[in-house]
Amino acid sequence: MKPRRLQFILGHPWTGRDWTKCGLLFGISALALLWSARYLSLSLPELIQGAPWIADLVSRMVPPNWGFLRQLARPVLETIQIAIWGTVFSAALALPLCFMAARNMVPRWLFHTTRQFFNAARGINELIFALIFVAAVGLGPFAGVLALSLHGAGMLGKFFAEAVEEADRGPIEALRATGASATQVVAFGILPQVLPAWIAATLYRLEVNLRAATVLGMVGAGGIGFELYSSLKLFQYQDTATCVLVILAMVMSADYVSSRLRAYILAS
Amino acid sequence: MIEVHALTKRYGQLPALTDVSLRVAAGEILVVLGPSGAGKSTLLRCINRLIEPSAGEVRMAGVPIPTDRAGLRQLRSEVGMIFQDHNLVPNLSVLKNVLTGRLSHMPAWLSLLQLFTDEDVSIALDCLRRVDLEASAWKRADRLSGGQQQRVGIARALAQRPRAILADEPVASLDPQSARLVLTDLQRAARDFSIAVLCNLHQVQYAREFADRIVGISAGRVVFEGTPSKLDTAALGRIYPGLDSAIEHEPPLQRGADVLQVSKVLSQ
Repeated sequence: MKPRRLQFILGHPWTGRDWTKCGLLFGISALALLWSARYLSLSLPELIQGAPWIADLVSRMVPPNWGFLRQLARPVLETIQIAIWGTVFSAALALPLCFMAARNMVPRWLFHTTRQFFNAARGINELIFALIFVAAVGLGPFAGVLALSLHGAGMLGKFFAEAVEEADRGPIEALRATGASATQVVAFGILPQVLPAWIAATLYRLEVNLRAATVLGMVGAGGIGFELYSSLKLFQYQDTATCVLVILAMVMSADYVSSRLRAYILAS
Repeated sequence: MIEVHALTKRYGQLPALTDVSLRVAAGEILVVLGPSGAGKSTLLRCINRLIEPSAGEVRMAGVPIPTDRAGLRQLRSEVGMIFQDHNLVPNLSVLKNVLTGRLSHMPAWLSLLQLFTDEDVSIALDCLRRVDLEASAWKRADRLSGGQQQRVGIARALAQRPRAILADEPVASLDPQSARLVLTDLQRAARDFSIAVLCNLHQVQYAREFADRIVGISAGRVVFEGTPSKLDTAALGRIYPGLDSAIEHEPPLQRGADVLQVSKVLSQ
């Protein structure tokens, strides 16, 4: 039997220059990673040494304090309400703005301005917005709702605008040809095409907002995060465990419900 | 009904149409024949000003096409348009797609609430009955076959109660049987309502069968005008330069397909 020859095939035949470039890239990345590991004092021995303490903390968390559930009912409800209103407001903001962020709908300068606004809203984390709004409107869930609304508007606006850009041009031309007004062209030519994608994006946003709403309380912007934070501060680790489990249950059920709904909407 | 006089369209320096003149009488089917890229689509779109012509004049029933917004919308409402890819809104019902042909006749706010008058609905159902698709009124448009969708496109155009119909290669992506059905529906509508039909085709055989008169266009210029019986080998040679005359002797169906093939090669 003849020995089989193996060929190493990449995108194109590699020259010596390609190999040098590749080697340099790997070398530099490795150096950067090692340097930052030292800078951050990442160390395996310390993790091993700390293991008993972690085990100790976890052992203090079990069993979770189920009695604490009763006290969590209100914060859980509040968290869900924050997520829902945050989503409603962000969709309401994104809805009119998305057309101004669609390349094929408006002049370039308006497109770029709106997109930059979305980028800024998206670039700043909800928690940072929450800190700002707590300073502006005071402690409480309203600050949380505002934080989710603004950040979510940036996310949804971009999604909505991209759906508009991807809408088939044909039906739009057909509607213009019937003599329909600009609003009618949008309502009958674009909306039906983008609505399923819009609803799916909004549902996904609701899911993300629920996750975000669970930590807003840590900066005083309402929801279950506050209970979690204070139980830790008071060393009530069994209460902390209950909080974590409740959050997990909330997030997982939101995940399940929203993905089922999205699948249903995109299919029909 | 439609009068085009010395129409010229340039894209930058590139001429798409040069000095095109033609007339279509009420109830007449004028087929514009020519290879892909000859300027047939541009010609149609210059008539309802989906494309702005560079020079020349278009008149509808003796009146020049208006340039102001309201006047243009009024004109478009009287001119139905049929597209190669039918351009239905895929996720609206068949009935609602046909109803979009009525949009220009109704107050915008009613249409945005999805409210339609009994009269508009009965006109739409009437038009669907004409193309034998009344039973599919509540199906989603994209559930229909290509030929059925194109007939919905005809129904949408008829729902406008048009004085003229512009058909842009209405059967280019259909099988022969559906194509004949579509063209028959179009022909009957033209006769029954004395609509002036300007129809782009690239299948010589269908032009012979359905046209009252034929205009041949090559490289943006009119190179033939006359009844189907006058469309001889010499005329075909002018419309499709370089086309072998042997094709004339092929069986009819084959010929249409060959012309399509050759015209594609020529336009490259």
